[in-house]
Amino acid sequence: MDYAISDHGDAAPLAVKILIAGGFGVGKTTLVGAVSEVAPLRTEEYLTHASVGVDDLEGVNGKSTTTVALDFGRITISSELVLYLFGTPGQERFWFMWNDLVNGAMGAVVLVDTRRLDVSFASIDFFESRGIPFVVGVNCFHGVRDRTQEEIRRALDLDPQVPLVLCDARDRTAGRDVLLALIDHLMAAQSRTAPHPVA
Amino acid sequence: MKHWTEGFDDDDADETLVRPYTITGGRTAPERDDLTLITLVTAISTASSETGHGLRRMQPEHRTILALCKRPLAVAEVASALNLPVSVTKILIGDLIEADQVRARPPLAFAQAGGFPGMTILEAVRDGLRNL
Repeated sequence: MDYAISDHGDAAPLAVKILIAGGFGVGKTTLVGAVSEVAPLRTEEYLTHASVGVDDLEGVNGKSTTTVALDFGRITISSELVLYLFGTPGQERFWFMWNDLVNGAMGAVVLVDTRRLDVSFASIDFFESRGIPFVVGVNCFHGVRDRTQEEIRRALDLDPQVPLVLCDARDRTAGRDVLLALIDHLMAAQSRTAPHPVA
Repeated sequence: MKHWTEGFDDDDADETLVRPYTITGGRTAPERDDLTLITLVTAISTASSETGHGLRRMQPEHRTILALCKRPLAVAEVASALNLPVSVTKILIGDLIEADQVRARPPLAFAQAGGFPGMTILEAVRDGLRNL
């Protein structure tokens, strides 16, 4: 099919994405807004429990459809590279079946709130089970630092290799540093798997 | 392709139509499954608006997409600007690809099979973030 993909010369930059996950109310959209070059955008998607073909409209009344909203932002790295940040919907049971959201992500930031660590458990489990690299950002914007990093790690049952970063999701520099921690983590993983890079 | 109304009684059609899908002529799934949230869509500036077989069923939303995508925009950004669900937006963008009005650049594919983005990309992202 003539899809005009091959003609990259004059065209669009390359797009990459990072997921910002964590439970409801941990500051995902706040973090996206802090680092994005545009105010966070919102879009919606219908998720259905059964995959339905184009012509298969029978029984459409009985099919359960859920509308999920997600907020996202954009950072233009260069004329050739654009980074998108997607805050995942708070209710994991929805985005677990949203492959388009997860596929092709470079990695993820899982935000946690020390007062409610449990709301982010599902996100951590998800990325671990999918083998998607992630870092944990401890959002301290309530000014509450009542737990040590070691206590948080233990409570989250975190793999020692997974970086844990304290941050304030409202702050641009702090938000950027969480993203940089993820990139460093990815680079470390890359050099472990490919000790002799070609280029 | 079967017309979407095939097999429907008129009464049923009235009851089951979801409004956003009226824009797509009743289609609920894109004919192509290669558009992702961050596929970048760019209007082909040289494309004539007078040619193309698909243009007869062009909706105002199609024209809005063409106007938006004078600079490259991700599918998610287009959906957000149109205030339409992503799946509906993908159908409309698919129409424009078929009609040679836009081109789409897919994102880098990794992480599906435990792969990692290349060092070059990682370094570029890191340097870009440091300059924020």
